[in-house]
Amino acid sequence: MRQIIEANDLTKDYGNVTAVNRVSFSVTEGELFGLLGPNGSGKTTMIRMLTGQVRPTSGSARVMGLDAAKDPVGVRGLVGIIPEQETPPSFLTAEEYLHFVASIRNLDRVDERCDRWFDLLEFGDKRDVLCKDLSRGTRQKLMFAQAFLHEPRLALIDEPLINLDPIMQRTVKDFLQEYVRDGGTVFFSTHILEIAEEICDRIGILHNGRLLHSGQLEDLVGSGRHLESFFLDLVKGDTGA
Amino acid sequence: MPDLFLAMMKEEWRIHSTIFGSLGFALFPAVVASFAFLGSLALPIFSDVLPYAVVALLAHILFLLVGVMVGSFGLMGREFMNRRFGQASLVAYASRSLPVSERRIFAAFLVKDTVYYILLYVLPFAVGFAAATPFVSLDPGYGLIAFVSLTLAFLLGLSIVCCLSTLYARSVALLAGTVAALSVLALAALRLGAAAVPAALPPYAFFIDPAPEPLALSLLLILVPAAVSVLFVTVEYPDRTKRFKNSLDPLAGRVRALGSAHFIAKDALDLLRSEGGAGKVIFSFLLPLGLVWVCLRVLIRFIPGLDPLVVFAVLLGVISATIYNWLTEFDSFTSYAFLPVEVPEVIDAKLKSYGLANLLPVTVLVLAAATAGGAGTFLPALATFLSVSAYTLAVTVYLTGLHPNVMLYHAGVFLRYLLAISPALLLLIFASIFDPAYASLSLLLIVPAALLLSRGRTKWQAWEMPGY
Repeated sequence: MRQIIEANDLTKDYGNVTAVNRVSFSVTEGELFGLLGPNGSGKTTMIRMLTGQVRPTSGSARVMGLDAAKDPVGVRGLVGIIPEQETPPSFLTAEEYLHFVASIRNLDRVDERCDRWFDLLEFGDKRDVLCKDLSRGTRQKLMFAQAFLHEPRLALIDEPLINLDPIMQRTVKDFLQEYVRDGGTVFFSTHILEIAEEICDRIGILHNGRLLHSGQLEDLVGSGRHLESFFLDLVKGDTGA
Repeated sequence: MPDLFLAMMKEEWRIHSTIFGSLGFALFPAVVASFAFLGSLALPIFSDVLPYAVVALLAHILFLLVGVMVGSFGLMGREFMNRRFGQASLVAYASRSLPVSERRIFAAFLVKDTVYYILLYVLPFAVGFAAATPFVSLDPGYGLIAFVSLTLAFLLGLSIVCCLSTLYARSVALLAGTVAALSVLALAALRLGAAAVPAALPPYAFFIDPAPEPLALSLLLILVPAAVSVLFVTVEYPDRTKRFKNSLDPLAGRVRALGSAHFIAKDALDLLRSEGGAGKVIFSFLLPLGLVWVCLRVLIRFIPGLDPLVVFAVLLGVISATIYNWLTEFDSFTSYAFLPVEVPEVIDAKLKSYGLANLLPVTVLVLAAATAGGAGTFLPALATFLSVSAYTLAVTVYLTGLHPNVMLYHAGVFLRYLLAISPALLLLIFASIFDPAYASLSLLLIVPAALLLSRGRTKWQAWEMPGY
């Protein structure tokens, strides 16, 4: 299996604040990788650097063989991205938004692709409703659909289950696991440890912009440790040195 | 209440100052005062054509419209805020989460808008005018009267729109009934001849004759709608979830030859489906144009050689550029940042949408030519319109990128905008007095326009995606 994400000494400074500090890691094709960390630990900045939305202050990232800083549009063309906060355009309907994204990505069989997502995430009855009138949960479903519309080999997701009800959370978790079984790769960030514990192959723990740990989840479980206690010990014991 | 008011004042200030820096925004009133001062100095030059009373009326109508605009933005601008700043979370929207009644929050919101925008627009304008009075043989006391009467005009617009908004939130039928009743009353007043201009606009009547009656009438017309809007305010809007069949693809199909078809179609749907629909464009575009055309028909009698169609084309080009503000109002590059799209692509798509939307002003120009019998100067006028429109748009894009509605409040940006546009326009108008055909020289503006657009693409790519 080849490495689909390679981050080398990635650093991002915002003025005097270092959001991400010399982080190196890699993600192998076919993995479900969870980046864990408390609020403000640098998870969102990391995803933005990997997808060419934010240029690193130093270091580099290769995503699907492309340099994210040198070819950001190329990277965003290949991968699927679900940002944490962005919502779909207010005055397009759910269906129109998916068609809009499909046109940007030059996709064919657009109706077929859209129907698949309306069915899977069970929001076909909202396809003709303006995005501004959709509930937060339905907007998240729509953002999910736009990210996977072009059937990418790699998806980067910032807080994947936010605003989804428990039934839909189960559907999404099942989908992500199936997607990875079929050869896809998922890199997601979350501060909800239960999600990572349930579906991840490998995790990384980020705190104050530094990667404190990266490894197989099963190694952790095999050693008899619980993810929550491991996470808390690591983060609370981090003095920032 | 004072805490709420102060929190809202801080919030309003920070919204603006975080975008262009405290100094940049703080200087905006200084720019308003400077232009009011310079404009007032020019009053005697045009006094034969535009009597002071007419200028005063125009100023009062302008501030009435500013009040309407501020009220509309405050009440219906949540969508705009969401797109500009992510999920907007303003104190005004917090009645469900704070232990404060909707009524108190809304009252504080109204007081905040009143104080804030009087300090931002009305006071600087009055100060600029007052400073010029000694130079134009006017009593300096008019400065104070202008401040009071313009404040009243602003508040009249603000309170009416707030009242209509409250009625709208309660019931669309109630709003429609009120508007219909007011229209009938206005028509009846017109038929009876009672609607002489001062009577129709009491703040203006107060400026002309600062007596207690117009002041009392103005206050009544402000306080009654304001009280109604506060007493009956509700955040429980009727459920108006609308459903639409897919119009994006058919619209994109019609403009496919232009490229960026789905972006153009999205712009059209944003305009049609946002609050006010196409009506807001007509209101902000055709209304000023009508006013300009009427003024020009008067001016022609006093300035020999002035071709009204060519001058109209110049002003039409400038006013048309405001269409770009509408095209960008509900869009933000953050919507595209996670897709394989770059800023220049979005700007180019906006330019194409703008080009298509310019069919409306071209139609207006054709109609103006037809009604004025100006067929002889139609071609120079058309060339002038197209060049001025392209140039003004290019200046707007270069200075404000995809954010004209916000960035033009930056004092420095606003000043550069005026300095980039005014000399070219004045030169064109003066040249056309010698011979309307000289207005065709405006085609030279296409060169700087192309240059500005090219630089604007690079500049705003770097601004939206720092480092790239």
